[in-house]
Order: sequence, then C-alpha cells, then structure tokens
Amino acid sequence: MAPNNDEDIALSRRAARGDHPAFAMLVEKHERPLRAFLTRLAGATIADDLAQEAFIKAWRAADQYDGRARYSTWLTRIAWRCRIDALRTDSRAEAPEAPQEYASPASAEVDDMLARLSESERAALVLCDGHGWTHSEAAELLSVPLGTLKSTVARAKAKCRAMWEGADHG
Amino acid sequence: MADEFDRFLASSLAPPERLPDRRFVANLQARILLEDQLAGKRRAVLGELLKQLVALVAVTAAAWFIGRASPIADFFAQTPAFGLAILLAGFGFVVLLFSSSGRTVPFR
Repeated sequence: MAPNNDEDIALSRRAARGDHPAFAMLVEKHERPLRAFLTRLAGATIADDLAQEAFIKAWRAADQYDGRARYSTWLTRIAWRCRIDALRTDSRAEAPEAPQEYASPASAEVDDMLARLSESERAALVLCDGHGWTHSEAAELLSVPLGTLKSTVARAKAKCRAMWEGADHG
Repeated sequence: MADEFDRFLASSLAPPERLPDRRFVANLQARILLEDQLAGKRRAVLGELLKQLVALVAVTAAAWFIGRASPIADFFAQTPAFGLAILLAGFGFVVLLFSSSGRTVPFR
C-alpha cells in the first residue's frame, strides 16, 4: 500500500459507491498536478479535455482502485492512456500547442525545449524532475523497465541542457 | 549537486501553486451527472425495445399457430384479400406501436 494514501483510498471507496461529493474532493486535490502534467505534454486546451476524460474514467473505475499505488499515480496512468489513445486517433494532438497557463519567458523557454523531445521523454522528465515522482513510478506509468526510464530521463535532460546552454545560459 | 540548470528545470516543470479550480470541478461533476443520466435513459430505451420485440415475437408466434388451424387456414385460402387486409392492419399496428414508444420513452 502506498504511504500517505489513506484519505484518497477512503474517498475513492466512497466514490465507488456513487458518492459524488467524495469524488469532487478527489478531483479538487488532484486536478492541479494532473492538468499541469498534461499541459506540458499536450498544451492547455487539449490538456483540459484529457483531464476531464481521465477523471470520468477514474469515476467509472473507482471500484478498481486498490490503493497499492498512490491515487495520483493511478490517475496519471489513466490520463497517460487517454493521451496515447488521442495520439493514435487524432494527428492534431501530436504537437503541443503554446500553453497559455505559463506565460513567462522561462516557461516559454522550457516549453520550447519540451517540444523538441519525444512524448515519453517529455513525460518522464516532467514527472521525475518537475512533479517529484520516483523513477520506479514513472517507469511503471510509461510501461518501460527502470533502466530504460533512467536513461530516458538522462537523455531528455541532456538535450534540454544543451538547448539551455546554447541559449547563452551556460 | 544541483546546478543552475537543474534548479531552472525543476522550478519550470513543477505544477503551478494555485488554489483548486472549482469551475473545472463543477464542470466535471455536471458532465458526470449528465453522462449518468444519459446512460440510464439509454438502458431504459433498450429495455423497452427488448420488451416490445419479445411481445412482437409472441404475437407473431400466436398468429402463426392460430393460422395453422384448419378452419382458419381454409378461410384465408378462400378469401386471400381478407388475409392481406389483416396482415396490413397488423403491420400498421406494429409501426404505430414503435413510433409511439419512441415518443413516450424519451429523453425528457
């Protein structure tokens, strides 16, 4: 069982019994990191659609959450699958649009860097370096071996560092 | 040890600090309620359709069994126009039944 997860397990069990306010509390708690992650992957507009879809799936599958992983991990896994499905079916989802939520120069710079990474490099880097996920959690999410995940993060970071240093920061 | 780039990356990629987006939560709740209602109505319509199909099959089977009885079969053999009229009336009844149930089970 994941640590510090008791409240989410209790809320999810209530949601599985059809308790809408309990699910609303889960959404309030997890929408911020989930939408931030999806915004980095897909841009703000698509991110909100994906987040809605992921939460609806989480509501319908609430009885399948067993508490072995953190609720945020379980939810992000659902959202990641939604993203992969969207990429398969809609070519417009491929290129992340310019996000509106992070309209600062540094944010624009990091968005530009992320846009040059592959989808899995972007996801791995955002989760591990930005959201504090462990490498094991990110490896499980992306369904890759731990070693592959570590090298994906290192490669993504090296690419970003090269771009950052190339922009006269180094 | 974290250098300037690591700090830049971590702070840029971290989720923004803000209060929960209540409008997003409310929109999501409304969509879930709407989808639940639509799913319920879809189930009701399918259930109704199934009941009507079973009833139709039962009535058709009954008509077929009755039509096989020799006095009735002989009557229809002698006056096929009458048999055709009954068939048309039955068809009209079925059409009316389905079209009226489409209005009464409805997405109100």
